[in-house]
Amino acid sequence: MGAIIAKEEYFDEPTCEHNNVAKDKKACKTAVPGSSTGGCALDGAYIVLSPIKDALNVVHAPINCLGNSYSQRTSVADKSEDYYMYGFTTAINENDLIFGSEGKLKQGIIYAYDRFKPKGIFIYNTCVPALTGEDIEGVSKELTERLEIPVVPILSQGFSGNKNLGNKIAGDALFTHIIGESEPDDIDLLSNYNVNLIGEYNIRGELFLIKKALKSVGVNVLSTITGDSTIGEIMYSHKAGLNVVVCSKALVYLARKMKEKFGIPYIEGSFFGMSSTNKSIMDIVNSIGDHELIANAKKYVKVRTKNTEENIYEYKRFLAGKKVLLYTGGVKSWSLISALNDLGLRVIATGVKKSTDEDKLRIKEFDENGNIIMLDNGNPINLIKIARENEADIMLAGGRNQYTAIKSLIPFLDVNQERLNPYTSYEGMEFLAKRIYFEIKNPLFKLLRKTNINL
Amino acid sequence: MMNPIKNIEINPLNASQSLGAAIFFLGLENAVVLMHGAVGCASFDKVTLTKHFRENIPIVTTALNESGAILGGDDFLISGINNVYEKMKPDFIGVTSSGLTETNGEDIESIISDFKEKQASTFPSVIYAGTPDYKGGFEDGYVQAMSALLKEFSLKKSKKYKSKKIKSVNVFCPPFFTPQDFLELREVLDYFNLKPIMIPDLGLSLDGHLDEGGYLQTTGGGLSVEDAEDIGRSEFNIVIGLSLKSIEGIIEETTGLKTYYFPNICGIENSDKFFRFLSNLTDKEIPEKYKKQRKQLMDVYLDAHFYFSGKDIAVALGIDLLDSFSTIYSEIGANLKIGISTKYDDDVKLRFSNFYKGDLDLLGAFGKINLIVSNTNAKFYAKKLDIPLLRAGLPIIDEIGHNLKHYILYRGAANLVVESANLLNEE
Repeated sequence: MGAIIAKEEYFDEPTCEHNNVAKDKKACKTAVPGSSTGGCALDGAYIVLSPIKDALNVVHAPINCLGNSYSQRTSVADKSEDYYMYGFTTAINENDLIFGSEGKLKQGIIYAYDRFKPKGIFIYNTCVPALTGEDIEGVSKELTERLEIPVVPILSQGFSGNKNLGNKIAGDALFTHIIGESEPDDIDLLSNYNVNLIGEYNIRGELFLIKKALKSVGVNVLSTITGDSTIGEIMYSHKAGLNVVVCSKALVYLARKMKEKFGIPYIEGSFFGMSSTNKSIMDIVNSIGDHELIANAKKYVKVRTKNTEENIYEYKRFLAGKKVLLYTGGVKSWSLISALNDLGLRVIATGVKKSTDEDKLRIKEFDENGNIIMLDNGNPINLIKIARENEADIMLAGGRNQYTAIKSLIPFLDVNQERLNPYTSYEGMEFLAKRIYFEIKNPLFKLLRKTNINL
Repeated sequence: MMNPIKNIEINPLNASQSLGAAIFFLGLENAVVLMHGAVGCASFDKVTLTKHFRENIPIVTTALNESGAILGGDDFLISGINNVYEKMKPDFIGVTSSGLTETNGEDIESIISDFKEKQASTFPSVIYAGTPDYKGGFEDGYVQAMSALLKEFSLKKSKKYKSKKIKSVNVFCPPFFTPQDFLELREVLDYFNLKPIMIPDLGLSLDGHLDEGGYLQTTGGGLSVEDAEDIGRSEFNIVIGLSLKSIEGIIEETTGLKTYYFPNICGIENSDKFFRFLSNLTDKEIPEKYKKQRKQLMDVYLDAHFYFSGKDIAVALGIDLLDSFSTIYSEIGANLKIGISTKYDDDVKLRFSNFYKGDLDLLGAFGKINLIVSNTNAKFYAKKLDIPLLRAGLPIIDEIGHNLKHYILYRGAANLVVESANLLNEE
């Protein structure tokens, strides 16, 4: 059963408060039967790897694992075929269970390779073939030799754990099979000002905005793991001078491994909101340590801040003091508070269910009035109660809670996967201001509250 | 031409049995769906249905972990049921299984029946549908759930004895009816003074209405326990849908009622048959409203048929919708170039130049077409071929308002033909 048990190492997370309590280590991944929870390890791994635009994602599973969930991601890719968005699955059937499906998997992948000529293929193992003991690693190895591209096994069977674990499994797979496998062609890329962005998936084009800002101060993004990326650029990502982990606790694991093996230092950063963007830019240039670069960055940050302040002035006047209920996962529990503070909004509560002690400390840092409620219970009924008691003007959360909010006639904005605009960098600040402004200002909620007498 | 043995599905059309069973259970009032499997099994289904219906979808999971997967998950299942009961107080708990829980060989059926024996009579109705996703698909799961409900309720009688002035009739509805299809059918039966017990009833649960109670933890409408208990007291059964053909006999047997079967009630001829049937049975004249709609449909057919001339249509849908839509398209003389479905059917096959049981990737395999009729996932092919996509089936996540559309009977046929003609005209 060795291969189907997730590596102990994945649960060793020095930055997690549960790490030092042995019995708690796996507690971070357990869910209560009868509750509604997030995705599994497969989901988490797929989120990390599927934005790589010249790779195929083959889910080795019966139909449910992929059948109704593909093509729903909002990651954007520049100038590419769209096959990276396609859903590939072996659709394991009863015969395959009895006779085994490694042969079918191989044939299927060879067919897909011949047709699309990808630069890499990820094979996701799932619960059923993991239980029947299929040798996905063996198949991957054989196909890597035959097709002469990396064919990477992703041991992401859902019963091993949640999305977060899946993120780590994906990060580990990139580290083991892709990163460090080639050198950049263009020698100019090897400047000291090269950074990688880790955990940025280019949702609605957010990466493009971050890259634009970094380029303006003279910092080059060598590789992104994995928004709008290619297998090639991830292969030479070990040549970067600095790793910037963007809003992902799970992929700090990857940054740590890259530090151990390649000596690349890493920092964590966020590009949600103006203050965070400014801080992240300055942290990056300070880590690189070039005086001219730092001076450039200071100038740039000042100019962009001034411009942005001008552009959002009208929105801010309206939004000042309006109350926000924020319910989102882990890192975003604090990174978004900073953006909301920039707009003069008051955060009345934030979700901390998936947050670490460190995340909670940061929430306190950003808690200007010292009274943000830390919400452990994300049960919809509880969210509505908190919103009503505190007269929240808007709820910011993921798509899962969209109907919790709007059915209760609470204005809502999606800040997770399904967000409709990019919210990073200076442009993102403007989008966010505009969206919140129009949502709170919309007379619809008042009208419906009046007509729906029971509410 | 593509390699027929590609051994991989590229953009699958098929969806899992558990999703089909979940849809059925979501048409019961005050219901929760409990999926027995790893968290992902439930999460993928829940996310898809939430995006499709734009509603809160009460699907929860037994959250099987490593030890549960390897050593058996009965504790997870039982505590899942208990927790759902404690937290949500539903009338129905619809339990589905997964490839995972079926592969490790648990006898879920007996675990649940043992559990039920120990519960007080006030405990919610726990209905189990075995839905391994390595077998069959969406339609099979839906039928499984329907059989399980029948088994549970056909012998029960509600405590309230109702006056029999209004005759109730059981209407077994197919997968892929839109919520509005359910509502339209209910209205027709009302016109004939029949009280419909719709099994299930997504028209009352997922039609997309703002409930007076605001946010609800369970389904806010659907087939009620009380009506389910009256199934055995109805006058007769109506069974609609190709997928329900296999269970028609079981329905007749378990309810002991005369059963009338319709493969679909779409297009002018099938609508005529259905209305004549209702009229004969109730001895009532077909209402003016529908006579008028029939005349309108004939006119729409005439107005629209020009737009279909010389155009090739590809339809990739579950077998019930494929049958319904191709019936309508055939009446108007549209050229059905490609039919893709999740099941074979000999009669439906004859309406298409090319018919396959397969994936959406086949949409790109037959050269030029002018319109694709399928779910959101067919968008890749519509974009590549630069042709319009008429969204139908499930999931539809990039367009709103699908819950308000309907395609059954005269008005439904008019809707489909008008929408298709306008898209063909744009192309």
